[in-house]
Amino acid sequence: MNNGPWSLLIEFFNEIWMKIVTLKKVLTVSILLGLLLILVILLSITIGSVRVPPLRSIRILFQAVLGMKGVGSETERTIILSLRLPRAILAGLVGAGLSVAGATFQALLRNPLADPYILGVSSGAAVGAIIAILLGLGISSFGLPLASFSGALLTVLVVFYFGRQDGKIHPNTLLLAGVIIGSFLSALIMFFISVSQKEELHTIIFWLMGDFSFSNARAILIIFPYILLGVFLLYLRSRHLNLILSGEENAVQLGVDVERLKLVSYLLASLITAASVSVCGLIGFVGLIIPHSARLLLGPDHRLLIPSAALLGASFLIASDTFARTLLAPVELPVGVITAAFGGPFFMYLLKTRKVIKTL
Amino acid sequence: MIEVDSISFRYREDWVLQDVSFRVEKGEFIGVIGPNGSGKTTLLKILYRLLAPQKGEILFELVPIKKMARADIAKRIAVVAQETQLLFPFHVVETVLMGRSPYLGHLMFESEKDLDIVRKAMEWTNILPFSQRPMDELSGGERKRVFIARALAQEPEVILLDEPTANLDIHHQIDFLDLILTLNRERGLTIVMASHDMNIASEFCDRLILLQGGRIYKVGPPEEVITKENIESVYGCQVWIDQNPISGMPRISLLKRGVIKG
Amino acid sequence: MKIHFVKLFLLSSLVILFSTSTSFSATRTFKDEARREVTFLFPPKRIVSLAPNITEILFSLGLDEEIVGVSIHCNFPGKANTKVRVGSYISLDFEKITSLKPDLIIATGAGNTRDMVDRLGKLGFSTYVIYPKHFNDILKSIAHIGQVVGREKEARGIIEGMRKRSQRVVELTEGLPRPKVFIQIADAPIVTVGKGSFGDDLIRLAGGENIAGKEKEVYPRMGMEEILKRSPEVIVISSMNPHGDYQKIQGEWNRWKTIPAVKNGRIHLIDSDLLDRPSPRIIDGLEELARVLHPEQFKK
Repeated sequence: MNNGPWSLLIEFFNEIWMKIVTLKKVLTVSILLGLLLILVILLSITIGSVRVPPLRSIRILFQAVLGMKGVGSETERTIILSLRLPRAILAGLVGAGLSVAGATFQALLRNPLADPYILGVSSGAAVGAIIAILLGLGISSFGLPLASFSGALLTVLVVFYFGRQDGKIHPNTLLLAGVIIGSFLSALIMFFISVSQKEELHTIIFWLMGDFSFSNARAILIIFPYILLGVFLLYLRSRHLNLILSGEENAVQLGVDVERLKLVSYLLASLITAASVSVCGLIGFVGLIIPHSARLLLGPDHRLLIPSAALLGASFLIASDTFARTLLAPVELPVGVITAAFGGPFFMYLLKTRKVIKTL
Repeated sequence: MIEVDSISFRYREDWVLQDVSFRVEKGEFIGVIGPNGSGKTTLLKILYRLLAPQKGEILFELVPIKKMARADIAKRIAVVAQETQLLFPFHVVETVLMGRSPYLGHLMFESEKDLDIVRKAMEWTNILPFSQRPMDELSGGERKRVFIARALAQEPEVILLDEPTANLDIHHQIDFLDLILTLNRERGLTIVMASHDMNIASEFCDRLILLQGGRIYKVGPPEEVITKENIESVYGCQVWIDQNPISGMPRISLLKRGVIKG
Repeated sequence: MKIHFVKLFLLSSLVILFSTSTSFSATRTFKDEARREVTFLFPPKRIVSLAPNITEILFSLGLDEEIVGVSIHCNFPGKANTKVRVGSYISLDFEKITSLKPDLIIATGAGNTRDMVDRLGKLGFSTYVIYPKHFNDILKSIAHIGQVVGREKEARGIIEGMRKRSQRVVELTEGLPRPKVFIQIADAPIVTVGKGSFGDDLIRLAGGENIAGKEKEVYPRMGMEEILKRSPEVIVISSMNPHGDYQKIQGEWNRWKTIPAVKNGRIHLIDSDLLDRPSPRIIDGLEELARVLHPEQFKK
């Protein structure tokens, strides 16, 4: 063989381009997207409303990781390590979680319009948070995310209870139950808004828009296990999620315990969503467009889709949050404005150049 | 091989199947026929345990299927059902690979062996030329062949077919049935096919099961089941029965109302 | 008989003429701070206030009896709580206002909407609008209100007192170094006071430098990065509850030890009604702020 290493490389790429998903393909794509994510994190640490020279920012970060001190003033270190870094980590976790939850709901409900909020979890979290705010709990308190999470869990259980018929989960019934309960909760939210005073109103609206400005180590520690566990356990079921896409009867025929799969994926995806929303408020768009974008670029196989959506979602949300806090500095925009402003047109572009949804 | 023992099934109040019993021997090609709503599709669904009968049981080689693990059933019985959803379409090869799922268990990725089996199944069904195409770009006939390939990838002993020739033109119908027949004759696969097309059932099946209102009306070879009395009794309309001039199997011709008196 | 009838007729028409002309001369027209012409019975005996600062001004002018309706935000003085509530900045109870039959309604451009004022006009009510934007405007608004309610003398007295006290503050802090100040009026998100707000004026008068003084928005949202960079020496939390949980608030700021104000423990609570409400009590706010910024000067 005259071109030894080249032919190996070509063979490698051929296998990657082949239309099936193999371990090699998943690892390659994950590593590439992982590098992108690292790049985005580094960028977000160097960009902010206060100008800190990029190299110094990166050195501060690495020195902190290695446990050393030295570079940069106290203020600069505080900005990099206590403000920008936790924000990036939290945004990354939430972006990953919401994207995977969105992809899961799209498979579970077999509906391309599904996103993590479609089954009312977010409205339940919002009601919990609003009640906490009206009772005087502040945004940085421990009670608020707890109340929010409780609201979300309660909603998950109620929707689940109504979404079952004869002991089985029917996707359309679940969807209907979720949408109706979500609407009811939204009305409740409007009621609370109309009777609240000016100061609470401010906080409520701020929470509803979704924000990362309160990122701290505690929030990360709260969310981290849910997102990690949720994404990991869902990933283990990717193959079965593939099967359920072509219809439940097909999946049963291929040996899948469909009821158990639906139950577990519903609970895991809801848990991820509940955790994310309780800490960061309602951040829209990510859970809808990232799964579709990843699917358009890499195919519908969940073994590749889930890790790609997670990594892409993380990068996307970190980038959006960085824009949100720097575009009109020192004023901070809500991150949801940026995810919609950038995500929307990009997705439109994808729609135009590649077909997104095939007719049923 | 498969013993259906007095099964009764209902969704809500009305019994869709009542006291149905029959046997399927290894290597047989069985046809299940009957009017709309007679329970053909339901029967099939019970055979692969999508539904559980309220009364009676199904034995697969003497083992009740309700005691078998789902994956085990999937390794023995494969189903080619009606058109499936193509919300986010996979490619042909990915679809056929799904047939290996019962053998993968908790493993995430298919092995070389799995790919081999899939390649052979695709060769056999002649779909290799478009193995890299997405499913939604295929015609109905081509898609059907993909699903057969997937069923073959399951390395089953039995294949269940639910109205397989619906929506196919005669060219594709013949292609399809030919394939099935070859699988039955050359590979010894047991076939159970539910069809509303009695001529096809008559032509290709070894034995027929005629259902009426959820009960078995008659079981037997086509000549015994497709008779003027049976058909008129079950379907409630006049038909003309003669023999297919080439194969000699019973052939049904539809008649306009009132053409034949008496 | 005929002559008596004519006399009676002449007499009654004279009486009628007189009475109508006296009631005619009892209305007056004023131009309010939004340059609108407002005509109403003078002096007004039934007044409705649509904002808390207006309520405070009216009470301080001694109009306890004349005030028949206030907004839900009106919380000072205590007597205000006994008055009928007619609505909020967001919505007015027009039926209630109608039932109170006010001679004059007073609104503020910083809080009540033009839409509301127009609707009141359509319902036949006279609304006088004030629109104080800076510290000195407050004194002008008090004077204007004094004018339209017929208490000019009392208004002058109040204004004089306020002027004297603010003069004293300015004198006491003249020439002293100006500490960098951050007034926080909301915590989620963090909002402070920029150019054009009363807080900004007060900081300047009290001898301080507003770190957000150059921001164009009146109430800019400020990120923590900016605050860290601008290193305020004094942080004033403008809170609704002056006896609030100081420990908790201190605790929340304690994460940012590089801020001088945090390091030196110069975090203070001042009632937001004193810092942001254009009423006579703005002087109390000014004095509190000066005390906080220059404690040595104000030791009593």
